[in-house]
Amino acid sequence: MSGLGDIAVAVEITTGNVTPLLHEVRHALQRLLDTGEPTVIDLHSLPLAPGELAALENELGEGEVSATLNALGPSLLRETAVPGVWFVTHRNANEEITGQYLEIVKIPAILEAQEVDIRLGIAALSENLEQTKAQDHRDTQDGST
Amino acid sequence: MTLLDFARGPAMQWAFVIFGIGVAWRLVGMFLLLRDRAKARARRDAPVSDGTRAIIMRSVPPKELEHHIVFQHVSGYAWHIGFFVTILFFGPHMPFWKSILGFGWPTLPSEVITVVGAITIAVLIALLVRRLSHPVLRVISTADDYISVIVTILPLLTGLISYANIGFDKETNLALHLLSIVLVLVWFPFGKLMHLFLAFPTRYKAGADYGRKGVAA
Amino acid sequence: MARLETVGEALARQGVSRRAFLKFCAATTSLMALPPSMIPRVAAALEAARRPSVIWLSFQECTGCTESLTRSDSPTVEGLIFDVISLDYHHTLLAAAGEAAELDRKQAMEENWGNYLVVVDGSIPLGNPGYSTIAGISNVDMLQETVEGAAAVVAVGTCAAFGGIPHADPNPTGAVGVGEIVKDKPIINVSGCPPIPVAITGVLAQYLTFGQLPEMDELGRPKAFFGQSIHDRCYRRPFYDNGQFAESFDDEGARAGWCLFKLGCKGPITYNACATVKWNSGTSFPIEAGHPCLGCAEPNFWDKGGFYQPLSEVEWGGWTQLGTAAAAGAAIGAASALAARSKQKKAREEEA
Repeated sequence: MSGLGDIAVAVEITTGNVTPLLHEVRHALQRLLDTGEPTVIDLHSLPLAPGELAALENELGEGEVSATLNALGPSLLRETAVPGVWFVTHRNANEEITGQYLEIVKIPAILEAQEVDIRLGIAALSENLEQTKAQDHRDTQDGST
Repeated sequence: MTLLDFARGPAMQWAFVIFGIGVAWRLVGMFLLLRDRAKARARRDAPVSDGTRAIIMRSVPPKELEHHIVFQHVSGYAWHIGFFVTILFFGPHMPFWKSILGFGWPTLPSEVITVVGAITIAVLIALLVRRLSHPVLRVISTADDYISVIVTILPLLTGLISYANIGFDKETNLALHLLSIVLVLVWFPFGKLMHLFLAFPTRYKAGADYGRKGVAA
Repeated sequence: MARLETVGEALARQGVSRRAFLKFCAATTSLMALPPSMIPRVAAALEAARRPSVIWLSFQECTGCTESLTRSDSPTVEGLIFDVISLDYHHTLLAAAGEAAELDRKQAMEENWGNYLVVVDGSIPLGNPGYSTIAGISNVDMLQETVEGAAAVVAVGTCAAFGGIPHADPNPTGAVGVGEIVKDKPIINVSGCPPIPVAITGVLAQYLTFGQLPEMDELGRPKAFFGQSIHDRCYRRPFYDNGQFAESFDDEGARAGWCLFKLGCKGPITYNACATVKWNSGTSFPIEAGHPCLGCAEPNFWDKGGFYQPLSEVEWGGWTQLGTAAAAGAAIGAASALAARSKQKKAREEEA
């Protein structure tokens, strides 16, 4: 977050919500391991004092995977140092944050290729191949004459 | 006008008017009724020390009775102290005092006040139950006793509810809390709550009179 | 009624990928203040939802509500929520004006009779119909006419919801909110001055997704955004609980970010989502910027004493009033004492 975050002030206000949130993450991880059930926590639905979001990010650390999704603006999905915990930030075309989530999942579902898109992809690819084939056909015909 | 606007405005104003009239009426009436000085020679002419001594002595139980009235003694002090700590040292009450007195003083953490308030309510309810169940106490209790205790409990109860934000919405809770104070102010001059002003003067007067009476032996 | 395309179709037509759609759904779910576990259901519902026709009426207002909405940070609201709803009339945003624009409104009404949504911002003057007119039509006439075929009315902003600033004492125009005029249609109040943008789009998204208005509180506001007080969700709440209050705007407490209750904060009696959703893309909200909440989402917020008057401060009348009362009381007391004395005296004389 730019703006306030850039100003070097010592913020000592705490809501005390970071620690319970981390406990929730731990339980969600255990649930993921036991039943495979993923959990998504909407970080914007919780009262967090300035600096607490950064504190949470700090606490969870930087993991091995980081992915950028370019759909209706950039989204950053990065795994934290705690495997299975993803810090997801969606931005719109103006790069304004539209949502921030903690996803406790093996891989965020939005990263997987979607069946509808795959079908559209097949159609597009097939069309390209048809066109290439038709082009080749025309080229051979042209060559033969 | 919402209930809160009414409670903060007209209700509070009228309560203060009634309180002002009532308290002045009773105090002036009472002081003007003091009997003229007795004509007999005084046993001892030291009204100030006799009066002051009475105020102090009647604030502690007499030795002979002490172990019979431990509960009343302790509980009485406990809830009075709790009551004043709550109304005088709760942070959000300070603007109320400031708006009336024009100055304020340091306050205590709200958690402390919550505990103190809850204990005070518990003691008051225990005393009310005792009043209802004790055969002698029940006989000598008048409507004034019950009204005064209930009127005292209500601000504490509504205050706690308002702080915990349960029951109605915050606005209504706060309005009910203010209305309970309106009730205290309105009832104050006409019932036993008046002892806030009268307890010490009457003890003083009684002490001074008894010190004077009789003949030196 | 014209067959409106579904949201899924509208988005596909714009070449929006499934991932983008899912992202849109995540934002929409968040908009509606629903838990993230609802995202799949929202996605399914949104895909099949039909684009509703929306007619937006602006009456006695400052355009702040429209500004708030068009500055909304939801996934390009103009591009998506506005593309997926069919905004058929909004005279501030419309290129056409006067008769031509009114024709658009009438046409949209006819085509979607019984199904369109009317959004209103601004209060309606009942004093003199000439106080506020559009194309020569008075606000109250236009509202009544337009609402007749509507499925529901969304009152955007405190003016439309409760009369707002025009309604403030002495209310020279006789301004009222929509609810004072429209009695036979469901009304949802998205109050605030201005309302939080996502609260506006959230309600539209809810209507779009589930075809119905969200759950409301007793003032007709969506509970998802107005269910909790600012105070309950405020990050400065711990200071209130600890009894740590800023006493002025420049004291130690104010600098340390303590509770603003004593500086007149109306957070405890104001129901809105500022403390969690915040403003300017989630940057901050008034209390975070060091200013007490004005309570702008509540009816009559302009007339609730002063903005800087603490809630627990009372209008007790002042020392003069109390003194006068005491003087009156003293007179009564003196009179009754004298009466009692003369009675005693008489009794003593009779005894003697």
